[in-house]
Amino acid sequence: MSELYNQLLKQIITLQYQLNSYISTTIRNLNDENTLSTLLLVLGIAFLYGLIHAAGPGHGKALVAFYFVSNKSNYKKAFKMGYMISIIHAISALIFTFGIFYILKTMFRRNFNEMSAIAMQISAVMIIFVGLYLIYEAYKSKKIKEQEIHPSSKSEYAVAFSAGIVPCPGVMTIVLFCIVLKQYLLGILAAVTMSIGMGLTISVAGILSILFNKKAGNFLNSKGYILEIIGGMLILILGIFLFTSVGHK
Amino acid sequence: MKIIISFILLFNILYSHPHTFIEVYPTITVKNKITEKIHFVWKMDEMTSTMLIMEFDLNANNKLDLEEQQHIYENYFNSLMDYNFYTDITVNNKVEKFPKPKNFKAFIENNKLCYSFEIEKKLNITKTLLDFGDPDFFIAMILKKEFTRIIGATAVVSDLDNDFYFGYRLELK
Repeated sequence: MSELYNQLLKQIITLQYQLNSYISTTIRNLNDENTLSTLLLVLGIAFLYGLIHAAGPGHGKALVAFYFVSNKSNYKKAFKMGYMISIIHAISALIFTFGIFYILKTMFRRNFNEMSAIAMQISAVMIIFVGLYLIYEAYKSKKIKEQEIHPSSKSEYAVAFSAGIVPCPGVMTIVLFCIVLKQYLLGILAAVTMSIGMGLTISVAGILSILFNKKAGNFLNSKGYILEIIGGMLILILGIFLFTSVGHK
Repeated sequence: MKIIISFILLFNILYSHPHTFIEVYPTITVKNKITEKIHFVWKMDEMTSTMLIMEFDLNANNKLDLEEQQHIYENYFNSLMDYNFYTDITVNNKVEKFPKPKNFKAFIENNKLCYSFEIEKKLNITKTLLDFGDPDFFIAMILKKEFTRIIGATAVVSDLDNDFYFGYRLELK
């Protein structure tokens, strides 16, 4: 991989490392000094943290990218998709964290890992179905000679749900940290602002794919269904890969 | 199509990303270009530490007693053997199995969970590299020059290009 990519990874890690440390120190100090400006500062940093965190590998960017590469769409839909994923991501993280903390309380880490693995497997199976569905739609469009088949909003929701259901451990950690320090409301708000930041980054992945689709679409013209089939197959392979990789852990 | 192919190649990094940050503090004693003692301290980020301390500090006295340390060693630390303790010791361009750590201690310092351990391994520093990183990219190992303490040699810390994850390399000279 290129030196550029390696440097990008380093910057993403370094920034996250610094923000993570800054957020935890600031939240801990909130116990003594509970000011509105500090609260807003924490939320601002959580937004930035989410933005950078989602830039690293993961968070369904690949799924979104494959989906928009294979389906004609617009930038508004990419934003909608990015934010649907991040909202589900946040809700899922809040439910998992509060649920595990209050119901199981002990052995948090072990349960956390097991629950995450189960969620990832469910997500992987859903991604496989989304891939199969997209391939079926593309095949159908070829048969009825429609060059521009628009994906139904059903498949958009399926993609968003598949990617978002796996709770982000980054969000869960912040929420848990706030619970331990009894900053419950801040935990929920931090999860929401972090997810807004993540949504923006995920949307960018969708926009880049739409740009690619537009360029490739011009070349393929009447053979647009080929791109749709390829996109569906990539999503299918991604789902199988995720399913098998969770199984190994 | 080039972009799609690139996506396929990137498959295995697309579903994990650092959520835990571990600062690595190595103390290495070298005599006549051979390592005599290699000691590590890992300091975990405060958020991860809070989560783990909650689970490990069973009597909630804000310190890790001997029984609690033993529990961590047996149930958590030992399993990191599967990950080579996120430390690849490369001798003559070949990665060696990480030796069984000794004198394991776990403690809390400034709200951070810390692990301290050492390995007994005679290594010729001219042929050895220590690479830190997690191939699953779930954990980011952080190594800085100022974290190192080398007796009898000097340390060079550099970025490590692992293709699909980022790490640090420690070279002794």
